[in-house]
Amino acid sequence: MVTKKQKRINWILVAVLLVLSIFFLFPVIWMLANSFKPDAAITADMNSIAAFIPPALNGNFFDNYVSIITNTSFLRYMGNTLLYAAILIVLSIIVNGLAGYALAKINFPFRDQWLMIIIMLLIVPTETVITIHFLIIAKAGLLNTIVGYILPLIVNPFNIFLFRQVFVSLPDDVYEAAQLDYCGPVKYFFTMVLPMSKTVVATVSVFTFLNVWNDYLWPSLVFTSSDLLTAQIGLNSITSNENTTMGQTLAVITLITIPVIIIYSLFSKQIVEGVTSTGSKEG
Amino acid sequence: MKKKNSILGMAFFGPALVLLTLFLFLPMLLTLGFSFTDYFALNPELTHFVGLENYINIFKDDLFVQSFLNTVKFVIIIVPLQCGGALLLALAINKAAHCKKYFKVAFFVPVVMSLAVVSTLWMQIYSPEGILNTLLGNFGIDPQPFIHSADQALPSIAIMSVWQGVGYQMIIFLGGLQNINPALYEAAEMDHASGWQKFKDITLPELKPLCIFVFITVTIGAFRMLVQPMVMTGGGPDHSTYTLVYDIYETGTVNWEMGLASTMAIVFTVFVVILTIIQNVLTKDKEERKHGNKKAKAN
Repeated sequence: MVTKKQKRINWILVAVLLVLSIFFLFPVIWMLANSFKPDAAITADMNSIAAFIPPALNGNFFDNYVSIITNTSFLRYMGNTLLYAAILIVLSIIVNGLAGYALAKINFPFRDQWLMIIIMLLIVPTETVITIHFLIIAKAGLLNTIVGYILPLIVNPFNIFLFRQVFVSLPDDVYEAAQLDYCGPVKYFFTMVLPMSKTVVATVSVFTFLNVWNDYLWPSLVFTSSDLLTAQIGLNSITSNENTTMGQTLAVITLITIPVIIIYSLFSKQIVEGVTSTGSKEG
Repeated sequence: MKKKNSILGMAFFGPALVLLTLFLFLPMLLTLGFSFTDYFALNPELTHFVGLENYINIFKDDLFVQSFLNTVKFVIIIVPLQCGGALLLALAINKAAHCKKYFKVAFFVPVVMSLAVVSTLWMQIYSPEGILNTLLGNFGIDPQPFIHSADQALPSIAIMSVWQGVGYQMIIFLGGLQNINPALYEAAEMDHASGWQKFKDITLPELKPLCIFVFITVTIGAFRMLVQPMVMTGGGPDHSTYTLVYDIYETGTVNWEMGLASTMAIVFTVFVVILTIIQNVLTKDKEERKHGNKKAKAN
């Protein structure tokens, strides 16, 4: 059915997209290629195609990366962020998951009203309440503590809603069978409900990780002590240091992106599904 | 049984409820309450009720008005470029016979990078002797100041934001295009409809709810602009990239003027809520049908 004319248009389309994608990616290619160069080479290569080609592999190839890892606390910041993400993933699955289950399956008073409120809370942007979060955490003396950072981030109406939507379609007879085996509701939740809902657990984990890894404003408010910084805030303190070279800056932003790329390639299906079905989960 | 359910329900819902109260209900009430006071967090004893004074004063405050106008400028540049760009990319990639997967990944790459990373990278790219000025020099264009001039800083940051975000909406549109029933196109082909007719009569109407959704979410996203100017320009030069959220943040957490910051936050929230309501109203009838399908699929 494909005519010759259509075929030609198709090739032109692919060619245009290819050129466009190269232009589109030039900042990323430039970043990667030059993260392996000393500043003198970056400047020298600037006006030629070499600006987009990494240097020859030699003993100094990873110099920028090595100096970032040995001379700054960047690995520590990455470790901090991984730890915060891990804690938050566990807590948000438990807290939001239990709430979602209650809203889906337990007939407690005002359940439908609570669900309405949760849905309405989805509209409220974080910026509305972030200064008050800061005030509360400061008054509680929790600035510069992990607890102070984590506490406001655990509960998330979006995750509650997501869990509720999945749990509501779980079959009831499994629960009845489990009750016969004298399985308490809490045990039932952790040993039956969560394992039956691996997809939503994965989705919530992935988005929690990405939020923690990429968040900028909240950690910059809570943490001033350098020991506790997250990677994004640490990045700022490294690049604003006058001794940091351009090559090291590019190396540091490459390093910080690697874990996210790993997550995206492992969970691309969940992420794309999450993006296309809800779309509203951003930053 | 009923009593057991209420205890069990509250036991399951309780932890979330406590945190919701502490970090959403209470902050929302406090924001609203503070917005009618001159609450200064470093000297809370001196707080007075000032009625609507803050709401009048912020619109007389030059800096707030400028930050508001800057935010509107960001929205005006970002929304058409990002929505239109995402739609065009999705349509082109959907039609492309080859390298589909590569294109999807290529245009999605900047989405993966955090705002702080993208901002840091583009500070290098936009620098006076940077790669972009070098490239432009090859075409005979004089070096541009980009983020270092009050005229160019805002558009420079806006274009960078579009570059970073466009892949996200592209994926949403691609999902929407794949959901269109192929039978519709087959029927149109039987009637010898032209490519343009098919696009106008099938693709666009089918994508309409998605277009509204993307339009509103991108608008809200642009409205929330903060990290990029914070990292790249500190709101400058001459407050030319100072945004609404930046003003809320600095007034509240740097100057500790919680009363004023709360008033700004309320104004900001009202705008976001209005946008969300418009979106819900415009997409309601179609959404419901689509949602039904999705739920069935998710299981």
